[in-house]
Amino acid sequence: MVQTDWDGRYYHIDQILDTPGPRTDEGFMAGNGVKDFLRNQSKILVIGAGGLGCEILANLALTGFKDIHVIDMDTIDISNLNRQFLFRPKDVGKSKAIVAAEFIMNRVPGVKVTPYFGKIQDKDDEYYLQFNLVICGLDSVEARRWINATLVNLVDPENPESLKPLIDGGTEGFKGQARVILPTITSCYECSLEMLNKPTAFPICTIANTPRLPEHCIEWASVLEWPRVHGDKKLDTDNPDDISWTYNVAAARAKEFNIEGVTWSLTQGVVKNIIPAIASTNAIIAASCCNEAFKIATSSAAYLNNYFMLIGTESIYSYTFEHEKKANCPVCGGDSLPLNINPDTTLEELIEMLTERQDMQSNQESIIVNCFKAVISASSAATGGSDQT
Amino acid sequence: MNDSQPLETATTSIQAPSGAPDAKTRRYDRQLRLWAASGQTALESARLLVIPASATATSILKNLVLPGLGHFTLMDDKEVTGADAGNNFFLDGMKSIGKSRAEEGVQGLLELNDGVEGVADVRDIKRVLKSDPEWLKTFDVVVAHNLDSSILDDLADLLWPGTHLVVVNSAGFLAEFSIHFREHQIIESHSETAASLRIDKAFPALLDYAMSLPLDTMDITDHAHIPYPVILVRALEEWRRECEQVNGPSSGQGAPSNAAEKKAFKERIRAMVRKFDEENFEEAESQAYKCWSTTGIPSEVRELFSFYSSSASSSSAFSALVSALSQFAENNSASPLYTSGLLPLTSTLPDMKSSTDEYVKLQQMYRAQAEAEKKVFKEYLGRGQVSVDDASVDSFLKNAHALKVLKGKEWKMINPGSKELLATKLTIQPRESATHLALVAVRSLRAKGVLSPLEVHSDTTKDAPMADALDKDKLKEFLTAEARDFLPPGAELPEEEWNVASGEIARAPSADIPTTAAFLGGLVAQEIIKMITKQYVPISAGNAASSGDDQLGVCVVDLVETWTGVI
Ligand SMILES: [Zn+2]
Repeated sequence: MVQTDWDGRYYHIDQILDTPGPRTDEGFMAGNGVKDFLRNQSKILVIGAGGLGCEILANLALTGFKDIHVIDMDTIDISNLNRQFLFRPKDVGKSKAIVAAEFIMNRVPGVKVTPYFGKIQDKDDEYYLQFNLVICGLDSVEARRWINATLVNLVDPENPESLKPLIDGGTEGFKGQARVILPTITSCYECSLEMLNKPTAFPICTIANTPRLPEHCIEWASVLEWPRVHGDKKLDTDNPDDISWTYNVAAARAKEFNIEGVTWSLTQGVVKNIIPAIASTNAIIAASCCNEAFKIATSSAAYLNNYFMLIGTESIYSYTFEHEKKANCPVCGGDSLPLNINPDTTLEELIEMLTERQDMQSNQESIIVNCFKAVISASSAATGGSDQT
Repeated sequence: MNDSQPLETATTSIQAPSGAPDAKTRRYDRQLRLWAASGQTALESARLLVIPASATATSILKNLVLPGLGHFTLMDDKEVTGADAGNNFFLDGMKSIGKSRAEEGVQGLLELNDGVEGVADVRDIKRVLKSDPEWLKTFDVVVAHNLDSSILDDLADLLWPGTHLVVVNSAGFLAEFSIHFREHQIIESHSETAASLRIDKAFPALLDYAMSLPLDTMDITDHAHIPYPVILVRALEEWRRECEQVNGPSSGQGAPSNAAEKKAFKERIRAMVRKFDEENFEEAESQAYKCWSTTGIPSEVRELFSFYSSSASSSSAFSALVSALSQFAENNSASPLYTSGLLPLTSTLPDMKSSTDEYVKLQQMYRAQAEAEKKVFKEYLGRGQVSVDDASVDSFLKNAHALKVLKGKEWKMINPGSKELLATKLTIQPRESATHLALVAVRSLRAKGVLSPLEVHSDTTKDAPMADALDKDKLKEFLTAEARDFLPPGAELPEEEWNVASGEIARAPSADIPTTAAFLGGLVAQEIIKMITKQYVPISAGNAASSGDDQLGVCVVDLVETWTGVI
């Protein structure tokens, strides 16, 4: 044990790790084996250090993950401070990944957080292959599609360790969702793209000729007037001066057409496509993502199969269901394998199924070794070995 | 972005001359888009007491401190243990061990937002209940996490109904919480149902305008810009006049009712098209159902009329507004054709295929009628004893179609509550109710001190995974025996669900694990925000005016299968 593990540090989480529960797979071997894997061997990647990312990092650190990597290309803005709780006003302008990593390492001793201030696209397959799990807390559809496709393509049937579970969370106002994706085995991000609300797109002729809503006037100012007046200089949606210019132009047009409701904030909202966001919803979804990561990494309990959706606007409504793989999914469809899994299936069983389907000749134990070291201690103990490592 | 709203109300008062918002508005921008300045003001004036400084409790507080809660007091008479330092992000790790849990927790939380006032109270809640009960009643909301039944019972008795009590209970992967209030009135419910455009009961200016248009001869560009409500009102009126010729006077009522009539009506709209690509007529056809969905008083709103006429508390602004609304529904003198059965018109129009001029013209017609009806409404309101400001009237009228009045249950109605009701719940919602019962049973055991030896045993770092297997089985037995005390004699426990729920609790009876704490922290904070802002709809035991007494209003969480449910 590392010196920073003071007496009683894991009193709470160890109640889970010391004893199986009624919904724990038989392969789970309680005690030091699983603790050692979680705390000393597992390596987890967090994509995004924003609203979800801050929460995810804090939860993972407390849960006992000690080798955490985080990627984020953004810098801290004042409007992040109402929910991104690892940041303070003095941090505005700095890298989210770096500030978040430092904060976690200060607060939770013994945890190593390695930040990368940049794009996920900068990293190659080799980089992603080093992790056991990836958790995604992003607000960008494109970035999610990229990491999803990358992890699906990473799966090499000859090498089951290449299968990296992807846990994805997203929020909007009082609503959110968390899901577990086992690339090529379960439905992937791309499979469910059509569930997304399409952002409102206004026809250009409405904007140009028949504005009715304040939004139409704002789009006119930002999409048509801005390039006409400023030429090649792009509208910087983070620059208050640019927003003010757009607001004034939109307001003048609205006045001309007798349209009410153009405000500075609405202008900013339309131009930046702002999605409302609060700490509480991020907390729920991030907790759910980390809870799944913890269950998958430790096999301490069945994990989510495979989609959790929460709507908090009217009472608390949630829906847990299995999102089905799309046969013709451009990312995971085609040469993938149809597999029926039930909620109790462990990752180990899934890997077994996968190897059987592929008629692979690999040694089963080595597959498991490579995939999830937690499972090794389980199988060695089951065959009479020690569960101490 | 269905649950967002325009920011006009949030920003008009705090805009700098350039239009750019100040630092505070920028900080809270993402939440102001949900609950506007009115919600923010409510949040900033709220006072919260949280007991004790557990990981779950500080997680709840974190999600309220970040958006700018006014004041919180964190009450805890214990010192930070190694276990606390390990699972609570707002303590400072090892450095906090041995110091006051309340003080360390408050310090960690206040770092998040210097606009929030936070106070540590190191007294024992048991003593405060005796020595300072009136002070406890000064809070708007009191949150209690994993408190013993005996303390909870006294606290609940004291606070009911002036201060809302939130009871949170968790162990391992399982959790539940409930909010105890008598009645909760919501004007801004942020319903996704829009107010009626009154296509089937058009007001005179709209009807006259629709009938005045020379559809066959007017300029073809203008024809392609007629907004769909005008098209529908025209088509429906023509349909009604034709019906009258066959069946006699219809007094402006009636609409296509069967499938054949509806199909014919849509064909009628299609026949009005003069040019192949008139999108406004396509839109009219797709919105034709608005002709046969009758505009009236939604039943949930109608129930409130009798509820408040019989309710004793008729001196509040809300009941005065409802009373004026019910009088308006009886007699709306601004609507000569349809004098009763309508809510006041709102002037909010959705976007539609149209030219700017036609759209603005339609908007002005709706606005003029809405103003006239507001005048009638305010006359009724003025006859009452309570004066209500204009902003409140506007907000009420804008949301009148989606008013909500919820009821909650007093704590003692849940704990111990009705044995029969719980038995029934176990048959209707077995997994949710079994989980609830298991959490009730463990709280009860905790109060009896049964858990203490087990806690001491587990609080070691040495690895003894199988050693306490016996204890777990024994604990499960204790839980089952305890649960039976909350059920009528002979009532069955659902075998599978009870096995799972009691087994999960027996596995981790005193575990406040970080992920469950964070999940609960978010969920409970969301509900407290809804209660404080009086916006959106929190969990409850049903509608005050119409629901029976068969709902507990308890939200149950299982983080193995990852579900939530309200029983
Ligand atoms: Zn797919």
